Amino acid sequence: MLVFAACQKDPVPSKDATLDGVSVDVSMFSKSARKLFVLNEGGMGSNNATLDFLRFEDGKYISSAFRKMNPEIGAGLGDVGNDIAVHGDEVWIVVNNSGIVEVISAVDETEIAAIPVPTPRSIAFDDKYAYVTSWAGAYVTYGTDYSVTDSKNPKGQVYRINLGTKKIEGSVEVGYQPEGIAVYNGKLYVANSGGIASQLPPTYSYDNTVSIIDAASFKVSQTVQVEVNLKNVHATSGGTIYVTTLGNYWDIHSGLYAFPAANPSQVARVTGVGIKEENSYVTASCQEGDTIYCLGTATEFDWSAPREYYVWSVSGERLSLYPLELEGTPYGISVLEEHILVADAGDYFNPGTLSCYSLDSKKDKRWSVSAGVCPGHFALY
Amino acid sequence: MPGSLRPLLVRLGACISFLLFSASWCADAQESDTLVAAQVFSVKALPVIRPSEEVSLAALSAAPSQVADVLRRFTGVQVKDYGGAGGLKTVNVRSLGSEHVGIFLDGIQIDNAQNMQVDLGRFSVDGLETVSLYSGQKSLRLQTAREYAAGAAVHLRSAVPRHSGWRLRLRTGSFGTINPSIRWDKALGRHMLSTSAEYTGSNGRYKYPYFDTTLVRENGDLRSLRLETQLSSRVQGGQWRLHLYTYGSERGFPGPVIRRAQGFPFSAERQADQDIFLQGSWTQDWGSRYATALRFKYANNYTHYNTHPEKNPMALPYDLHYRQHLAYLSLAQSYVLCDPWSVDVSADYQWGRLDSDVGQFVRPRRSTLTAAAASRLVWPSFRLAAHLVYQGAWDSFDQRQAGGWTRENAFRRAWMPSVSVFYAPFRFLEADAFVKRTYRLPSFNDLYYSLMGNAGLSPEQAFQAGMNLRLKGKAGRWDGSLHLSPYYNRVSDKIVAIPTSSQFRWTMLNIGLVDISGLDIKAEGSYARDLWKAALALRYSYQQALDHSTPGSQTWGNQIPYIPLHSGSACLQLDWKAWTLSWDTSLCGGRWSRSANTADYYLEPWSLTDASLSRTWKRLRAGLHLRNVFNKAYQVVQGYPMPGANWLLSLEYNW
Repeated sequence: MLVFAACQKDPVPSKDATLDGVSVDVSMFSKSARKLFVLNEGGMGSNNATLDFLRFEDGKYISSAFRKMNPEIGAGLGDVGNDIAVHGDEVWIVVNNSGIVEVISAVDETEIAAIPVPTPRSIAFDDKYAYVTSWAGAYVTYGTDYSVTDSKNPKGQVYRINLGTKKIEGSVEVGYQPEGIAVYNGKLYVANSGGIASQLPPTYSYDNTVSIIDAASFKVSQTVQVEVNLKNVHATSGGTIYVTTLGNYWDIHSGLYAFPAANPSQVARVTGVGIKEENSYVTASCQEGDTIYCLGTATEFDWSAPREYYVWSVSGERLSLYPLELEGTPYGISVLEEHILVADAGDYFNPGTLSCYSLDSKKDKRWSVSAGVCPGHFALY
Repeated sequence: MPGSLRPLLVRLGACISFLLFSASWCADAQESDTLVAAQVFSVKALPVIRPSEEVSLAALSAAPSQVADVLRRFTGVQVKDYGGAGGLKTVNVRSLGSEHVGIFLDGIQIDNAQNMQVDLGRFSVDGLETVSLYSGQKSLRLQTAREYAAGAAVHLRSAVPRHSGWRLRLRTGSFGTINPSIRWDKALGRHMLSTSAEYTGSNGRYKYPYFDTTLVRENGDLRSLRLETQLSSRVQGGQWRLHLYTYGSERGFPGPVIRRAQGFPFSAERQADQDIFLQGSWTQDWGSRYATALRFKYANNYTHYNTHPEKNPMALPYDLHYRQHLAYLSLAQSYVLCDPWSVDVSADYQWGRLDSDVGQFVRPRRSTLTAAAASRLVWPSFRLAAHLVYQGAWDSFDQRQAGGWTRENAFRRAWMPSVSVFYAPFRFLEADAFVKRTYRLPSFNDLYYSLMGNAGLSPEQAFQAGMNLRLKGKAGRWDGSLHLSPYYNRVSDKIVAIPTSSQFRWTMLNIGLVDISGLDIKAEGSYARDLWKAALALRYSYQQALDHSTPGSQTWGNQIPYIPLHSGSACLQLDWKAWTLSWDTSLCGGRWSRSANTADYYLEPWSLTDASLSRTWKRLRAGLHLRNVFNKAYQVVQGYPMPGANWLLSLEYNW
């Protein structure tokens, strides 16, 4: 907090202070944070991932900040922005189909480093390293030639990147097509999806495991079975690990599962008290403090039905369902001070929108602003 | 015969004589596959609506090597081109979408049940006589039911050699292009045997602007071999033809231009194809009133697609094989009730299957029955035709149910009516108009692709109304024509991919609606004197194709992707003695790559100029073709740069 205050008094305005954007109402936020970064994935092969941010100081929503602050990088942010996280005064952006983990300044969005990682998916930090899940890691021994281990149905990797040098320092094999990752108490929790393995011989099946990696030895210490097609991982300060699953899209529903870090085999689905089964599905999730917020739709198997989305949350033993009426095709969510920011991907092809709703009252959309193509990931600075 | 028809017949006879001498458009009026040997020319063979564009390949000096190169000159046509020798090239006519454009070889459709995209880059112009485009309703006697059912159609017609001989052609040029071909024609009494072979090789390496620098396109190489043989024969009152075609290719896909970490290749994807088909037709006149055409086809297409993850750590690991079988039988009958009035009934049956080792593949099969009835009143200066087509398609496929897989059936059908009228009040003026409604069936990919299919889709509908006005005149050595074609199209129930609750799981829905209004203008003029001849053709297309899918959405009322509001071309050809010089400039106006018509997705206009010089000796023909003379950097499809300036040298020897 001290550092924060010092920064605010900084007489030299940051280089991005001149960026202008669309004004939105930020009066409901306490301004304890400076920016909310919004990563727009873009469309695969279209090279149109973009970085927007909401500046709490003047309520400006600024589009395409990476391109504006790094005009010398002609290719822009790249192809498919898949994850974003803030660490210190840095923003780490996982650009999936560019094979790049982009590190920029959180203060002014200028580039610090572009780290090559094959098909990176998600990122988490401890105090020494950034950990990046990767789908294609099994093909490549990074830095020298590409060594093939299994060209038919390879497992994924977690790469370890030194926070200081921004260099990769080793990798560890996990399950099939790892997605989300979280760090808790010296352990890394990796959700394996098997999204590609489900389409490949010999088994044509999704992965259903969480790989637990000991950060010190950087080896998988335990593998826990949860449910098929895992996606996001959240760790609370009390040591509960939450994992979301997307299901198999035809007879296994999506959902949220939890286990204690102390005893990972005690996996249980989060449902029941206060929440009906069909109100406990998950297409996207986010964490604020120790509360996990989930976005879901009751008709997830019925592709022809118009979708109505709901938001629910779990905080310790308490489950809540929020009577929101969300518009469009919500793709990502972020909760900040009793308000939810919903990224509407629209048709996933044309630019989407970002909307702010109050969590406590129905139909209370506070504002909407045009975002990039397929907005979906958030990071607070 | 009613007496009142006699004066008409006299007029008709006069007009036939006129037509015979007016070779400029008689030639394209007659279809050789429906040629009636005994009757040199018959009024009932006159088309109700003529093709909107037709090119005789023998007359082209800058002989292009691919059908796609011919089509891109036509008005109202967008050739989608992913660049390079091996890049996919599909054709879209008047914004209907390429799935609505039927590609026919000698009247028999080249079909692709998997995705309904026919890659025109694979079809060589070698061995073809004409390439025609029908934007309106093609209406000739004895055409197949599928020809009536196509929204728009590109017709390729094989050349039928007139005498025995050999032809050797060698082309070579930029990007390591080597393209030799040989053809042998042999007359065996009433039969004609024609055999040809063609090899194409290219390394596909060309420079392109990669953001702030210049790179060379990698993994865009192509090797292909085409072997075909045709046997045709004329019999009393008819003709028959057999055509065996094989094509094998192996190519790389260089992938879209995106930001990519250094050390990782853009793409290592390869695809190998083996296509084989046998088709045949037998056209017979039974007396002066009744004629039949029997046609068949068997096609077998094999594709192997591999992303080669061992060469590209960014690749998703796919190593997939596909095989399509298609069998087709068609019977067309034509009957002259009384001379101006004739009726046609055609019925086609097609069976297709697709197999693959893709995970959870549903093994789709499809039987399609297409039946068409046509009624035509054909006077030389006034012609009227009405057509009605029925199409029924029976699909069977595997479906995952609780408790295992079951075999499911689906049935789709559509009625497609159309009316065409032609009127030529003066020799210098002709007008025609048409209204038609067609449907295109959902492709196997639309319906059954394991990650995004929706087996409940309806056929996509295209309504078209258009007219053509042609003015032509001749004054001394000058010859000129002006062609105006306004039209309106509506594509509804358009099949659109939309995401479901997961980014990994998309589906297809009939939710698109596009309204298209356009105008095609073509002006041609030529001047001939002694050993000189000059010809100029100017084309212009205006196409407003508006997305009307979802009222209130940000894209409602916007121009759909990749359709330029304005486009055009100018083509000048000079002939002197045995020399020919041609100059061809095409212009494509600004477009958007999304229906969000914002600056981020705006694609700059581009122009492209080709030039060629050729000379013909008695047996030898040589040509030098310069393409993209001004070395313009452009993209037809965003992310897929096209080659800069390049050349092609061709030599042809006949004996």
